Amino acid sequence: MAPTIGIDFERLTLRDALDLAVLIEEEARDRYREFAEQLTAHDTPEVADFFTRMARIEERHRSELFERRRTLFGDAPSGVERRQLFEVEAPGYDEARAFMGVRQALEIVLAAEVKAYTFFNEALPRVKDPELRGLFQELRDEEVHHQALVKTELARCPEKPDDSEAYADDPVAQ
Amino acid sequence: MNAMLAPNDYKSALKPIWCPGCGDFGVVQALYRALSAVGRPPHEIAFISGIGCSSRIPGYTTAYGFNSVHGRALPIAQGVKLANPDLLVVVAGGDGDGFSIGGGHVPHAIRRNVDLTYLVMDNQVYGLTKGQLSPTSPRGLKTVTSPQGSLEQPINPLLTVLAYGAGFVAQATPADMPGMTGLVEEALRYPGFAFVNIQSPCVTFGEEEQQLRAHKARMKPLASLGHDTSNQLAALDLARAYGTELYTGVFYRNPVPPPTYDALIRQRQTDLQQGEPPPRARVLDAYLRA
Repeated sequence: MAPTIGIDFERLTLRDALDLAVLIEEEARDRYREFAEQLTAHDTPEVADFFTRMARIEERHRSELFERRRTLFGDAPSGVERRQLFEVEAPGYDEARAFMGVRQALEIVLAAEVKAYTFFNEALPRVKDPELRGLFQELRDEEVHHQALVKTELARCPEKPDDSEAYADDPVAQ
Repeated sequence: MNAMLAPNDYKSALKPIWCPGCGDFGVVQALYRALSAVGRPPHEIAFISGIGCSSRIPGYTTAYGFNSVHGRALPIAQGVKLANPDLLVVVAGGDGDGFSIGGGHVPHAIRRNVDLTYLVMDNQVYGLTKGQLSPTSPRGLKTVTSPQGSLEQPINPLLTVLAYGAGFVAQATPADMPGMTGLVEEALRYPGFAFVNIQSPCVTFGEEEQQLRAHKARMKPLASLGHDTSNQLAALDLARAYGTELYTGVFYRNPVPPPTYDALIRQRQTDLQQGEPPPRARVLDAYLRA
């Protein structure tokens, strides 16, 4: 499933590619914020805190890329829009569960980082401009680094039984 | 692309209270994007819903909204559209709201062809009230009201609306966000009654094979089958597979949309205003003779 619509990688400019990278981080940040809100509302505070932390990390990535874009291109209007992106790095809404554990949350984040890596890796052959290729390679390799960080966290995180099913009431006569 | 209105311009400050993992999160996101693509500002849009998890959608948008009574979203939406035909009127609700208590309103909204977009979030269960059988629950489904499994044949929403003559009929799943967004946008743009059945799984009471992960493996885009969306009979044939196949895309789009009821009403009003007003005496005579 193509996670973007109307983006021609062969014609992408460096400015648009940076904007695209900013929007990818923004989308991931917003999704983690939403997960944090959902899990706060459903009595899963530990994982809500974890997703809040993830949202901060994605915001840091976003602002770094945004600064780079501003330094190079100032306030020139963007050629890409948020609605052209569909969960490039953001996990799908169906991934969250009430009463999930931090380990499950880490697995969601790892899958999201792998997804982002795949996106940049699959886009690379279509990118012809050498400067742009450099940026895409850099962004792809960043995702490898992020995956390593998440894997380290996962190794530290104890296995816990999945009690997310506890959310569903067993069928009983009403 | 409209640079003026971003998807987030349609998002209200109210936080959805759906269960984490609910398909409706994807639906509302697709809606924000589709509305942004259509470009109508929030004050020109009205969301009308009934009761149920998905009927909470009006509160999550910055448009006008009416979270009304169970099963009555369609009659209210028709009234809203006729009172203010310039509004973009979107009706949102679940399969229970639309095809059980509200089922009687569906044929009349369709035959009148009021220019509405009707989005049904079909999760095949009553989720808000903790998992009872709904009109689209598959036969054999075990719920609190069918502990031995449902004995009932489910309603087929696609066949139902096609048989009543809906001009635009589509099916989507949040497992395909770009596809769903495009279908909702197409429905919003269709001039007449447009119906989108969205297979939006209930993460809490739904079956495992109804979840989005299973949808991703099962879904078959109609475009990949070479389906001709102007062929109503082919659409009816494909719609029969509801419950066994997960077809996504446009089943039917009337290539020559008939005039909408709201347009006909407007025309009638114009005609009456332009014509010679009947003399008061003649009206009184006609009344007394009747």
